[in-house]
Amino acid sequence: MKPPPFEYLRPIDLEGVLAALAQDSEASKILAGGQSLIPMMNLRMVAPKRLVDINRVPGLNHIRIDRDQLVIGALVRHTDVMASPIVGQYAPLLMAAYGHVAHRPIRNRGTIGGNLAHADPASELPAVMLALDAEIVLHSRAGERRVSADRFFLGIFETAARADELLTEIRIPPTSGRRRWGFEEMSQRQGDFALVAVAATFDVDGGRCAHTHLGYAGVAERAVRIAAAEAVLDGSSPHEAVLEAVAAKAAEAVNPPEDVHADAAYRRDLVRALTRRALSAAARR
Amino acid sequence: MPIDNERVRVSVNGVIYERSVEPRLLLSDFLRHELGLTGTHVGCEHGVCGMCTILLDGRTARSCLAFAVQADGCQIRTVEGLGSVDSLHPIQDAFWEKHGLQCGYCTPAMLMAAVELMEANPNPSREEIRDAVGGILCRCTGYQTIVEAVALAVRRVQEVTK
Amino acid sequence: MSDAPSRIPRSRQQEPPRSAYRWIGRPMKRVEDPRLLTGHGTYVDDIHLPGMAHAAVLRSPHAHARIKSIDTSRAKALSGVILVMTGAEAAEKAGPLPCFANPPVKQMCIAADRVRHVGEPVAAVVAESRYAAEDALELIEVTWEPLPVMTDPEEAARASGDGVLHPDRGDTNVAFRRSFDFGPVDEDFAQADHIIRRKLRWPRSGAQPMETVGAVAEYNPGTGKFTIHANSSMYNYVGWLVAASLGVPAHRLNIVPTLAGGSFGSKIFTHRVMVIAATLARACGRPVKYIEDRIDNITACDAHGCDRIYDVELAIKDGLMTGLKCHVIDDYGAYFQFGVGHHGNALSQITGPYRMRSVRLDLIAVLTNKCQQGAYRGFGSDVGNFVLERMVDAAVRELNEDPIQFRRRNFIQPDQFPYLIPTGNMYDSGNYSAVLEEALGLLDYAGWRKRQQEARQNGKFIGIGIATCQERSVFSATEFWMLNEDPGFALTSSPESVALKMDPTGKVFVALQAPFWGNSPETVATQILAEQLQIDPQDITVTYSDSDHGLNGTGPGGSRFTVMLAGAVVGAAQQLKQKLIRVAAHMLETDASDLELRDGKVGVRGVPGMEKTFAEVALHAHYFRLSMPDDPSLTSGLDAAHVYDHPVTTLPAADRKNLGIFYPIMGHMCHLPVVEVDIETGKVKFLAYVAVHDCGTLVNPMTLAGHVRGGVAQGIGTALYERYHYDREGQLLTANFMDYLIPTLHELPEEIVVGHIETPSPFTEYGIKGGGEGGRMGAPPAVASAVEDALKPLGVQVDALPLTPRYLRGLIRQAQQHRLAAAD
Repeated sequence: MKPPPFEYLRPIDLEGVLAALAQDSEASKILAGGQSLIPMMNLRMVAPKRLVDINRVPGLNHIRIDRDQLVIGALVRHTDVMASPIVGQYAPLLMAAYGHVAHRPIRNRGTIGGNLAHADPASELPAVMLALDAEIVLHSRAGERRVSADRFFLGIFETAARADELLTEIRIPPTSGRRRWGFEEMSQRQGDFALVAVAATFDVDGGRCAHTHLGYAGVAERAVRIAAAEAVLDGSSPHEAVLEAVAAKAAEAVNPPEDVHADAAYRRDLVRALTRRALSAAARR
Repeated sequence: MPIDNERVRVSVNGVIYERSVEPRLLLSDFLRHELGLTGTHVGCEHGVCGMCTILLDGRTARSCLAFAVQADGCQIRTVEGLGSVDSLHPIQDAFWEKHGLQCGYCTPAMLMAAVELMEANPNPSREEIRDAVGGILCRCTGYQTIVEAVALAVRRVQEVTK
Repeated sequence: MSDAPSRIPRSRQQEPPRSAYRWIGRPMKRVEDPRLLTGHGTYVDDIHLPGMAHAAVLRSPHAHARIKSIDTSRAKALSGVILVMTGAEAAEKAGPLPCFANPPVKQMCIAADRVRHVGEPVAAVVAESRYAAEDALELIEVTWEPLPVMTDPEEAARASGDGVLHPDRGDTNVAFRRSFDFGPVDEDFAQADHIIRRKLRWPRSGAQPMETVGAVAEYNPGTGKFTIHANSSMYNYVGWLVAASLGVPAHRLNIVPTLAGGSFGSKIFTHRVMVIAATLARACGRPVKYIEDRIDNITACDAHGCDRIYDVELAIKDGLMTGLKCHVIDDYGAYFQFGVGHHGNALSQITGPYRMRSVRLDLIAVLTNKCQQGAYRGFGSDVGNFVLERMVDAAVRELNEDPIQFRRRNFIQPDQFPYLIPTGNMYDSGNYSAVLEEALGLLDYAGWRKRQQEARQNGKFIGIGIATCQERSVFSATEFWMLNEDPGFALTSSPESVALKMDPTGKVFVALQAPFWGNSPETVATQILAEQLQIDPQDITVTYSDSDHGLNGTGPGGSRFTVMLAGAVVGAAQQLKQKLIRVAAHMLETDASDLELRDGKVGVRGVPGMEKTFAEVALHAHYFRLSMPDDPSLTSGLDAAHVYDHPVTTLPAADRKNLGIFYPIMGHMCHLPVVEVDIETGKVKFLAYVAVHDCGTLVNPMTLAGHVRGGVAQGIGTALYERYHYDREGQLLTANFMDYLIPTLHELPEEIVVGHIETPSPFTEYGIKGGGEGGRMGAPPAVASAVEDALKPLGVQVDALPLTPRYLRGLIRQAQQHRLAAAD
């Protein structure tokens, strides 16, 4: 299965990328790791007239702490995110999610920015970004724009990024020492996209939960948080009975898609079971 | 709209090649048909099966999910660079001894994944071995002898380097 | 039953099994491997011919439709395109593809007036590159007239008019309907004290080897001859049928085998791909390469597995199984290349390892708008094993018996062989209790039952599965036609041949007539030949004949190849040995009867120094005719060829109440998986897996274990992950590798413990039995058994595959709701 023809540009800097996007944004597609784009092109599901290869662009490849925020450049390969002690320390939830992402050769090429820009509703990372209150940084000729994760993922393969914008950076705010986290996923095979995945975080303050974030993959056309379920946990103690109630609420709140691998009833069962397990693991930390 | 070819200059198994190719030419097709290195195989062309796995700048990559033009200036290693029948790489020897192959179609990919692991980590655990080759499908062996072969190669290299 | 020895032909075994061998039985490193390990094996897509062009095929988006018009003008005008061919144009050059069913179901290499399944080729493009060819496909314009889509076989069986796929064959989609009775079925059911009833479902999955099907074809306009390089298996057996499709006499076609990257049955024929490539080559005057991409292969490989709905009844009297009734609806897809051969195959061992007296088979084969069935490791007996073992488990449950005791009691006993089953087939040898004992010991069965108890108390669901199944090997050709009312071509030969020569330097060349597809033909030939000639394996080289040079060969399949190859090698080697000894006798001036072969030499028995090396003898034999006795039978050179026919097979009776002996070299296996089921997610994890196989005398235990493990992996895929899932519109929802789920190593048992028991065959050379299909024939029932055992506390019953997490969770949810409702 061979891809359709395209014009190929490989700018040497960010300015060059933004100029190319500004010139013909509708016809252009960014080529980073290519692990999501190229299969779709080989299957002839998409046929961009022009690919803008950003792999040689400097300044997008960093992992650092910047005024308490964990900042990851869009072009950092998954393998390098996973190997980073900074990420391990500051975002263990992200590290846990990575245990379920694809396989080594894909992670060697695929980029964290590319995954988020692609916005597959069954992908783990968008759900994690919701749980972490991440901020997505976009650049265009007009300048920099920041969009919070909960406003970034709009639909199947659809984000708030405009056609002339490049996702350049992900910024993750600091979490307190009282922040707990848990990640659970069900996929049929190791490394497959999630049937359902849950990224859960909450503070425990004086024995009670606060600022609960429950990010989900696989339950809608985009990664979502379930506020109704979060509300059940906020203000309560994380006892098993409460966690079960949160899980039940989450299962009730979703209206999941159906496909050959899972019907709605099954996905609801998974939401319930995985929410409870993620929260239990988090509570035990 | 005619599209210009792009120049690609790439090192494969230590040999420099220069070609002029369509941007859409997949790296797998470039290696196999442009350069005649047919040891790397193609199974699905959508990144799942792993037959096309090679080393790109020291890391495994699916060559069906890269365009040849992206490899400009890069170093690629394929199975042809590992060894010959008179001088097999320890991993090839170990696969032979442990019956880590039947039809041979996934074998080049498995070997390259094993090489990535062995060069990055001289003392991998069983889990790390399984993780290293776990992204490549095999329809013949059930995988067990593949994992045993990598473990054997690791042990042998450790003995030699002592 | 076993009281009719007169029906069993005499054994023609030349080499009986013995207690010690030099080469047979060794886990020798494979001869095939060096080139595969170094990336220098030649698979079909590695073939490059000067001037070669590339083909791609336009796949039908509709499951059932008439082709109203097809406009290829824009495609033809695209730069780089050499030729575009529609089905109608192809039909002018190429006839229908071969079909073993009678009456045949007509299949063209490219659909001409109507398409019958999604993915069926509608047009083909030849271009300078595959890339350009695919660009051209997008420019072909087809207008369609949709027809009613038949995806439910029961609905398809009732259809008429536009819902009928092949109206020229009659106004019905029922391709075959017949009932067979073997033994006193009605009597057994009337006398039964228990009748177990189940409805069982085996949906289609398939081989999906990592390499797809391909062909590189060229046509020489000077000689009018085609040459096709292909990864096809049966090119020597029925390659001439491909010539017939191409409209040329058989000697105007040479098929050259390439290595195949796996087959598992799916490359047995590959007729469609060969005919497309060759037809295009002739039309455009250049060699043409057509390699299926993965979507082509999943949707149109002509090799989907069995797809069946069973209503089964099992009669039991005094704790013994007596009779079996199977009503089967088999969804064959859009064509019918092997007829109901899969059911004939299953009848070879339909009663399993048990002493049952009677069998009824009610069979309905239906055509539907799906890719047709082909051969997939088991060829119908995989399903037969599943059905029987599910019934045995059901009987054990309903009668509240112990699963081990029940099986032991019902087993055929070691002193009852050779054993004739109700259908007429023979089991040559076996010891089923020994296999079971070995398996129970390797697993530590008692230990796991204890662990299961503990787990249950902790709210965990562990299950131990048991499957004791037959693994028939070496099919007879009668299997292809014996269930037909009118057999059509009632062939009875399924030989295998080998040609040997020893060159003047003493090296031995072995020419095989069937290709490599992941089995180990070169290694088997080498080990058997080394044993026969007492020669160093390094002095043997193995080659593959093309069809021009091929002797009779049926090819790998039906677990036949090792047995048949051994027979051919033994036959040829014996001739070669004789001549070696005659020449050496002359050179040593001694009697032939004093000589033996030892360590690459011919020497006088008991006299160490008095010998000649093979090289010395060979040089003499090749070049010094006038120094040898003046006997016309002593020609120059050292060569031999042997055609080895099926060692023991008989014809079916005319009334088909006895199918004859058609698949008698009977292996056996016991699989014991241990699983844990996560009842909230439906995920199944393996905690242990033991597989003990009896394949008679083992040639190479390492390669046999490889087949067991690989077969188990595919069987687990069938049991838990894989399905070709068609929706009501005939769209294939699992048409790529993201949705058709082949297990990675993470989904399989980390270790599959393989054990061996050997009950040699009295009929084959060295007592070898086949084992290539084995693992896949035991794993599906074993895994189903394990999952059902795990969920026993919930009362879940397993009647269908695959046991995907979603499906299992659904069964569990239902069972839990049932329990809740019952408790109220």
